[in-house]
Amino acid sequence: MESSHSEENRLTPVKIVVAGGFGVGKTTFVGAISEIEPLRSEAIITEASEGIDDLDTETNKTMTTVAMDFGRISLKHDLVLYLFGTPGQDRFHFMWNELARGAIGAVVLVDTRRIEACFAAIDFFEKRGTPFVVAVNTFHGRRLHGEQDVRDALQIEPSIPIVYCDARVRVDVQRVLVAVVEHALNRATSSAGVG
Amino acid sequence: MSVWNPTRVHVGGRIVRPYTMTGGRTSVSGRPIALEALVVATKEGIRNRHRYRWESAEIITLSRKEMAVIELAALLDVPIGVVKVLTGDLLEQGAVTVTDPPAEVTEGEGYTDLLNKVLDGIKSL
Repeated sequence: MESSHSEENRLTPVKIVVAGGFGVGKTTFVGAISEIEPLRSEAIITEASEGIDDLDTETNKTMTTVAMDFGRISLKHDLVLYLFGTPGQDRFHFMWNELARGAIGAVVLVDTRRIEACFAAIDFFEKRGTPFVVAVNTFHGRRLHGEQDVRDALQIEPSIPIVYCDARVRVDVQRVLVAVVEHALNRATSSAGVG
Repeated sequence: MSVWNPTRVHVGGRIVRPYTMTGGRTSVSGRPIALEALVVATKEGIRNRHRYRWESAEIITLSRKEMAVIELAALLDVPIGVVKVLTGDLLEQGAVTVTDPPAEVTEGEGYTDLLNKVLDGIKSL
């Protein structure tokens, strides 16, 4: 038996989840900073079909595929960051648990013209205790709503950062990711103080 | 830092139901494998690559360099669940190693050190 790989060269994977409503720009956001073209991966899930006779429960399920986009950023020689875009449709929310498990934080991407599309994501991360920031996608640089308006509409804690970004612009995305990690750091140090 | 540029492997469009690749199994026998867990082929795995059937052999080839489970699924164009089952088998047979993401511990010095390192990395992109 030969030894496989030397321990000191081990890469550690970390991840940040990018959530938000359907069509809000998650894939664009991931693609703006990923070193690889965002890749799409599929999971097969079974869904119960309604309105079919209950003769055989196995056949009452249909197979559906759910797509997830992700990107990769090498941060250090031993550290790699994965960005995961959550599937947008409501019926795939159960997949968010696996995506959020072990995430260092999350971005909730918001289009202020359809602000309600992000409510589910905010509820989820609040309940789960995942540190998150709200990133308002300005689409071509226009801020349609001020920060206080957004904060009022979302009813989020004052400690949760709201940042504006153009999801197509790399430095904007970088700034959002910095905000996520800084927020996670604040949370980690304050909870250590309490505990 | 070098830009990582994988070669896409096109396998899609084959008329094979996905779980025929895993003998119908849909769950991993050993420990759970995270989407971002990194798979690396062992020397033994590379040497014995020809003994594995197509999908498993491709996992070994692609993971000569660290490759996340989700990347393998995208590059091979097979569902994530299938890659998890096959990777679990390869792990048991010593053909690959799997590096898990850090455990979900969200406080303590180790965790803040990790976050600081991530922050520094993102800022210097």
